Amino acid sequence: MHDIELRVNGHAERASVPAGMTLLEFLRDRLALTGAKEGCGIGECGACTVLLDRTPVTACLVLAVEADGLDVRTIEGEAADGELSALQRAFVDAGAVQCGFCTPGMIMSARALLLRSPHPSDEEIVEAIAGNLCRCTGYEAILAAIRAASGTGGEP
Amino acid sequence: MLGRFEYARPQSVDEACRLLAEGGRAAAVLAGGTDLLVDLRNGFRSPSLLVDVKRLGELQALKTRSDETVVGAAVPLNVVVENRELRKAYAGLSDAALSIATYQLRNRATVAGNLCNASPAADMAPILLVLDAELTVQNAKGTRAVPVATLFTGAKRTCLVPGDVVIDVRMPPLDGELRTAFRKQQRIRGHDLAVVNAAAAYAPSRATLRVAVGSCAPTPVLLEPFDTKGTSPQALADEVLRAAAAATAPIDDVRASAAYRRAVLPVLLRRLLADVVSGRGGGI
Ligand SMILES: Cc1cc2nc3c(=O)[nH]c(=O)nc-3n(C[C@H](O)[C@H](O)[C@H](O)COP(=O)(O)OP(=O)(O)OC[C@H]3O[C@@H](n4cnc5c(N)ncnc54)[C@H](O)[C@@H]3O)c2cc1C
Ligand code: FES
Ligand code: FES
Repeated sequence: MHDIELRVNGHAERASVPAGMTLLEFLRDRLALTGAKEGCGIGECGACTVLLDRTPVTACLVLAVEADGLDVRTIEGEAADGELSALQRAFVDAGAVQCGFCTPGMIMSARALLLRSPHPSDEEIVEAIAGNLCRCTGYEAILAAIRAASGTGGEP
Repeated sequence: MLGRFEYARPQSVDEACRLLAEGGRAAAVLAGGTDLLVDLRNGFRSPSLLVDVKRLGELQALKTRSDETVVGAAVPLNVVVENRELRKAYAGLSDAALSIATYQLRNRATVAGNLCNASPAADMAPILLVLDAELTVQNAKGTRAVPVATLFTGAKRTCLVPGDVVIDVRMPPLDGELRTAFRKQQRIRGHDLAVVNAAAAYAPSRATLRVAVGSCAPTPVLLEPFDTKGTSPQALADEVLRAAAAATAPIDDVRASAAYRRAVLPVLLRRLLADVVSGRGGGI
């Protein structure tokens, strides 16, 4: 077992985890943050995307112990005091959420994009979400949502 | 759970080498984990110890100078892609890195991990072969340089031995203009391994052209250098195509048939040569 200390959505967390536990399992099973989903478990789908030190990673391919000392952000960190972030609101308004399975990962990839590029071009948006598969929307509504959220600031 | 194993995050390269030497074949270096953790998940490998080298200072270098270009073994691919100096010096290297996986995975994945995994389709291999790159490798006995040209010994096999840690990847000094390019044929546009990939480096002042091909043999293949003096682009292309066909032996696999690979290789190579010889550069 390994003792780890990390920040998750601004809260300090301490835990003892086995080496083989993924960051995704830690978030879902230990912290009950079930927003990030396991679609494939092998880096293909992006449903497990979270931010590690402000940059998106697939949490299924990161060990919990690798996140020791780092800052993690998940979809649960988006809404503040029960209010959706501007980015979440844009997804709802654009009809960019259908079954919703891809949405938490999609929004975290979009969040990371807005953090590094507040007014992204369409090309940047497409590259940023290329690792987030969506079986429902056909992506157009998602592009529209991210375009609409452009300029609303990197922080939720 | 990805299995039962121990995890260590050594504080120095010496300590990493020692842990790896003690662990022998049961220990594995963990960089970005985008190959290794998938192998654990799928049960293809079951090491008893992972040695995480990502936070070691010696593996973080990123230098682009005319006399020395160094990419540390822990530098994530996105950092390589976004480095403007690197793109100016080696467009083909930046394009190859950008072609790998997705933004999320490129935040973890490394150049060194791509090489050490030794997939026949490894996208960093052809470009580093044509650049005559070398790995700096350290183990308990000392440090040595391993040319990428001698690294691959078979599909998923390298000449590295238990206890070895790759510290960085080095390119020789730039001597005059060098035009580089990378091309990759995939089943889908987006993230996918290469059906065929290839890279070229052309030095107009020395009239030499280097070409390497991936996914068409058990290892990436570096062709003998071509002398471009007094050769028409058409004749040069024909010569490269002949050499590539002779040096490769494509097989049928999940991504493509051998026949498709043989058919697409010349198309890809002609485009690649147009990239470097006409100086258009880039493009995947
Ligand atoms: C969804 C997905 C898409 C992908 N797409 C592509 C693609 O398009 N093209 C492509 O080429 N690859 C692709 N890959 C494979 C992988 O992402 C790359 O090969 C990546 O560069 C591996 O680097 P890493 O740092 O994650 O390696 P790791 O998984 O950490 O390590 C890989 C191997 O190298 C060894 N190793 C790593 N670093 C060192 C070191 N410093 N010293 C000694 N040994 C070391 C490890 O022990 C292991 O055997 C993809 C993978 C996934 C999951
Ligand atoms: S569950 Fe992590 S990428 Fe699919
Ligand atoms: S909304 Fe269903 S997968 Fe994207």
